[in-house]
Amino acid sequence: MIFDFALIVDSIPKMLAGFWMTFELWFLSAVLGMALAIILLLMRISGRWYLYAPAMAYIYIFRGTPILVQIFIIYHGFPQLEFIRESIFWPILREPFGCAILALTLNTGAYVSEILRGGVLGVDRGLKEAGAALGLSSTHRFIYITSPIAIRLALPAYSNDIISLMKSTALASTITLLDMMGIARTIVAETYAPYEIFLSLTVIYLILTWIIQKSIGLIEKRMSRHVRSEA
Amino acid sequence: MEALNGWWDDFFWGSVVVADVFVVSLILTVLFGLTGAAAKLSKNRVAQSIANGYTIIFRGTPEILVLLLFYFGSAIALTAIAQISNPEIKYVDIPPFWAGSIAIALIVGSYATETFRGAFLGVEPGQIEAARALGLSNFKTFIYVRIPAMWRLALPPFGNHMLSLIKDTALISIIGLEETLFVAEQAIATTGKPFTMFIVVGAIYLGFSTIITLSVVVLEKYANQHLKIAR
Repeated sequence: MIFDFALIVDSIPKMLAGFWMTFELWFLSAVLGMALAIILLLMRISGRWYLYAPAMAYIYIFRGTPILVQIFIIYHGFPQLEFIRESIFWPILREPFGCAILALTLNTGAYVSEILRGGVLGVDRGLKEAGAALGLSSTHRFIYITSPIAIRLALPAYSNDIISLMKSTALASTITLLDMMGIARTIVAETYAPYEIFLSLTVIYLILTWIIQKSIGLIEKRMSRHVRSEA
Repeated sequence: MEALNGWWDDFFWGSVVVADVFVVSLILTVLFGLTGAAAKLSKNRVAQSIANGYTIIFRGTPEILVLLLFYFGSAIALTAIAQISNPEIKYVDIPPFWAGSIAIALIVGSYATETFRGAFLGVEPGQIEAARALGLSNFKTFIYVRIPAMWRLALPPFGNHMLSLIKDTALISIIGLEETLFVAEQAIATTGKPFTMFIVVGAIYLGFSTIITLSVVVLEKYANQHLKIAR
């Protein structure tokens, strides 16, 4: 058992070729997931039971089942259903990439909406009352008062979630996608050198995590600059 | 639904495997978490940096990567060791059950480390001083004062860790553990009904998640019993 450095040097560029796949999976599902999360959040805080109940059920189901099972249901399971094969979404759902994006989006949407809700609930009542006293409508209050503060409050938790989304993209390798994890698994199957390949991939993922963490840290700092200037 | 006939018992035994993995990895998670938290809070620099490295690495890499690295890596190491004593041996591996349980416990343990660390810091110093004043030894203070007080604070986030744990068990099917997802794949191979089978797996996991969530609610009530009486 000797550590084969030549193999590492050889395979890192190959794995980095999968970076764009990882990045696309991560970025697209983060953006779409955020849109879904906002919809779910609005449904939850709407105060109407016919909007509230479906959102709750959705969040309960998607947070209560493993993402791997969700990916398998969408990728392997959906083709069993005729109405899906005949729907206009079939060209997307036929491809593993579309399935992975859909599964990751649906999953992260449920988590992020909980995080956003935490942020919205954390907004001081007095500020909203002040907005009402100034004659702002409830929509305006939500957009101009609640949202900016809620985003700032939710950011630390969101940073954790977006990192776990990045880690979840590795599961796309189970449905034949060649992201960094998929390429690494192919190389390991050919060379049978799991230490060399998987450890170098670990380092790559750690760097990615670090970059995301630092970037969100910077945004957070910028958004709370008024707090520090007071102090 | 008739496709499921004859598979119910397989799914049942698959669920038993999931429950087994959960219990084993839960115990290990608590162990890793407490050790990690103790190391981070100790004054020993070496212990601190090992614990920091542990949480950074295991929180920053995809679960599936840790699992595959652990399983294939340990197989190579064990084979190398076994070949020293007996060159005839071709291949030795850790059973997927143990490789999987340890791997997911290491991952969730790194999150638990942070939770426990925060909770230990949240224990009022006055309580520990009181224990000192009563003449309790360090060990007894730890068992009778720190742990019960810390546990109350750690319980809500630890409930989330338990949910991650149960969901991560689904990954172990990738290295060949015969849990529900593995059963579903076998059932699909004979019935050709992927949607039905994976939905059953999803429902089983949803059941487990519900049980865990409810247990955490009950435990929290139990842990905060004394506070209610005081009010």
